[in-house]
Amino acid sequence: MESVAVVLLLVLLGGYFVFAGSDIGLGMLLPYAARSPAERRRLIAVIAPYFLGSEVWLVATIGVVAGLVPVWEAAVVTAQWPVFVLLLAAWLGRDAGLWLRGRLPAARWRAVWDGAVAAGSWLLAVAWGFVVAALVGGGTLRPGVTLVCVALVVLLFAVRGAAFGAERLAAAEGVGGAEPGERAARAFRVLVRAGLVVVPVAAGVLWVSAGAAPAVVVAGAEVVLAAAAVDAGRGWARVLSALGMAVLPVVLAVGAELPAPAVERNSLLLLVAAAGPLVPVMVAGQVWLYRISRRPIVGSGFFA
Amino acid sequence: MFTDPLLWARLQFALTSGVHYMFVAFTLGMAPLILVAQGSALLRRDEARLAAVRFWGGLYVVNYGMGVLSGLVMELQLALNWSGLNDVFGHVFSAPLAVETVAAFFTESTFLGLWIFGWDRMNRWLHLACFGVVTLTAYLSAFWVLVANGFLKNPVGFALRDGVAVLTDPVALVTNPAALLAFAHVATSALLVGGLVMAGVSAYHLRRGNDPDGMFRRGVRRGVAVASLALFPTPAAGGAQYSLAGAPPTSGLTLSSAEIAEIEAARPESTMVLAEVGNGVMTLCWTVFFLVLPVALLAWLVRRLDRWRWLHWLLSVMPVLALLAGVAGWLYRELGRQPWAVWHHMTTAEAITPLSVPHAVASFVVFTGAFAVLAGITWWLLVRYARRGPHGGPLAPAPSGDDAPAVPVHTY
Repeated sequence: MESVAVVLLLVLLGGYFVFAGSDIGLGMLLPYAARSPAERRRLIAVIAPYFLGSEVWLVATIGVVAGLVPVWEAAVVTAQWPVFVLLLAAWLGRDAGLWLRGRLPAARWRAVWDGAVAAGSWLLAVAWGFVVAALVGGGTLRPGVTLVCVALVVLLFAVRGAAFGAERLAAAEGVGGAEPGERAARAFRVLVRAGLVVVPVAAGVLWVSAGAAPAVVVAGAEVVLAAAAVDAGRGWARVLSALGMAVLPVVLAVGAELPAPAVERNSLLLLVAAAGPLVPVMVAGQVWLYRISRRPIVGSGFFA
Repeated sequence: MFTDPLLWARLQFALTSGVHYMFVAFTLGMAPLILVAQGSALLRRDEARLAAVRFWGGLYVVNYGMGVLSGLVMELQLALNWSGLNDVFGHVFSAPLAVETVAAFFTESTFLGLWIFGWDRMNRWLHLACFGVVTLTAYLSAFWVLVANGFLKNPVGFALRDGVAVLTDPVALVTNPAALLAFAHVATSALLVGGLVMAGVSAYHLRRGNDPDGMFRRGVRRGVAVASLALFPTPAAGGAQYSLAGAPPTSGLTLSSAEIAEIEAARPESTMVLAEVGNGVMTLCWTVFFLVLPVALLAWLVRRLDRWRWLHWLLSVMPVLALLAGVAGWLYRELGRQPWAVWHHMTTAEAITPLSVPHAVASFVVFTGAFAVLAGITWWLLVRYARRGPHGGPLAPAPSGDDAPAVPVHTY
C-alpha cells in the first residue's frame, strides 16, 4: 500500500519535472532566446497553452501528498516553510505573467509580465534546488549541498527548456524566423557542456555529505548529458533532456530522508475508486494537448 | 492582538478564500451557459451565435486564470499555515482534496487548454466536447472540495488511532449530508450567479443600444431564465443545512462534552456578530434578486425586456450583488463553525502551524498583497472586456484576417 502511494507520487512528480520542465526552462531562456517583441510573443505562445497541462502534475502531487501521506506534507512543505513560500510566490508570479501579458496591447505592460515569466521561472527552478537540497540533506539546508543542488536543478531545467525551444521555435511559414530556435539550440549545446562539469562536482559533494545513493543517481545525469553532447542535433535532445529531468525524482526517491510513510487503506481506496475511471480521459487530454500545441501558432492566441 | 500569528493566518485564509470563491462562482455559473450556447450555435450552424460564445468564453477564461492562481495559493496555504489540521485529520480531510487535484482539476485544466487552443484548429464537435469535459470537471471539483469542507462541519466516517484520524467509512465521508447539501447550495447559487452575470452584461449593452446579431437580447433572456430557475432552489438547499445543526455524530471521540462546552463558552462574541452580518448580507442580496427577477420576467412577458432602460440599469448591477452574496455566505459558514476547525474535535487555534509572528506577517503580506493586485487587475480586465463587447475580446479571431500574419516575419 505504501509502495502504491510512493510510486504514484513518483509518477506525478516525474510528470511535473519532465513536462513542466519544458515550459519553466523555456521561460528561463526568454531574455536570451527571444529578443524582439514578435519573438517574445512567439516564445510565450509556445509556453502558454502547454503550461495548463503541465503544472497540474504538481497540483496533483501536492494533493496526493496531503491526502495519502500527511506525515510527508509536514516533513516537506511545513518543515521547509520559507522554501515553499518562495516556490509558491515564484509560481504565482510566473503564471500571472502568462495569464496577463496578452491582455493589453501596450509594450510596457507586456515587458512587465514577460519579466514576471522569466524571473518566476528562474525562481521556481532555484526553489526546486532548495527543495532537493533540503530533502537529501535530512531537512537542513547545508551550504555546500544547497549550492550544488541549486546549480544542478537550474541547469537541468534550462537544458530541458532549451531542447523544447529548439524544437518548437523552429522556423515555420507565417510564424517567424529561425533565430529564436537557433538560439535555443545554441543554449542547449552550451548548457549540456556546462552540465558535464557541474554534474560530477554535484555528485562528489553529495557523495561526501549525503551518501552514495543520491550521488550515483546524479552521476547518471552525466551519461545523459554526454549522450546529448555527442548527439549534436540529431533529434534526441527532447528525450535526453526529459531523462535529465527524470533524474530528479529518482534522486529524491533514493536520497530523501523522510519519515516512514503511513498510508491509510481507505484513503487510497477512495482516491483509486474516484480518480481511476478518469485516468483514460486525463491521458487522452494530455497527449492531445501535447500534440496539438506542436503545430505552429497562428495570430489569434489567447495568451500571446 | 496583532502579535497573534493565528489572527494573521486566519485573515489570510479568509481573504484568499473569499477572493478565490468569487472566481469559482463565476466559473461554475458561466460554464453550463457557455456549453449550451456553444452547443446551440453548432446545431444551428450559426456563426453569429458562435461569435457570442467567443465573447462569453473570453470572460470565462480571463476569470479562470485568477481562479487557478488563487486555487494554487489555497492548496499550499493549507500545508504552510494549517499543518495542525493536516497532522491529525490529513488522512480524512485531505483525501477528497487529493481526488479533487488528481481527477477533477487535472482534467479541467488540460481540457480548458485544449478548448482555448482549439478554436479553428479542431473539429467543432470535439471542440464542444472539450468544453463539456471542462464543465463536468468544474462541478466535480466543487463537489470534492465540499466533501472536505463538509467534513469540517460534520465530521463523519473516521476513527482515531494514536491521536491520528483514519478514514473508516469512505462512503459516509462522500455522502455526508453537510457536503451534499452544501454542494446543492453552491451549484444552484452558482447558476444564479452565472445567470445574473449574463443578464447583467447583456442588459448593460442593451441599455446602450448595442446588440450585434441579437446576442445580448438572447443573453438577457437566457440569463434571466437561468437565474429565475435557480432563485428558489438556492435558499432551499442553503436552508436545508440548518437541519444539521447540533452535535456531529462523532462528538465525544476526541473531547469530552465538558471540554467542548468549555471551549464553546469561550467563543468571542465578535465572531458570532460577523457571521450574522454575513448571513444578513447574503439574505439581503437574495431578497433583491427576489424582487428584481420577477420584474424582469414580467417585462419579458409584456415584450419590454429589450426596451426598459431602467430595468437594464438595475440588471447590470446584479452581478456585483451576486458575487458579494457568495462571499458573505462563506463568511457565515466558516465563522459559524468557530471556534472549531473540525466541529467538536479540533479548534482553529490547534489547527494552525506553529508560526512565528514575522513568518505569519510575511506570508500575509506576500500573498494577500499579490492577491489584491492580481484580483484587482483581473476584475478591471473583466469589466473592460464585458463593456467592450464581442469585438477585440480575448478569444476573438485575429483582427487582420488571413492575408496578413499577426506575427511579422523577422529577417536580419
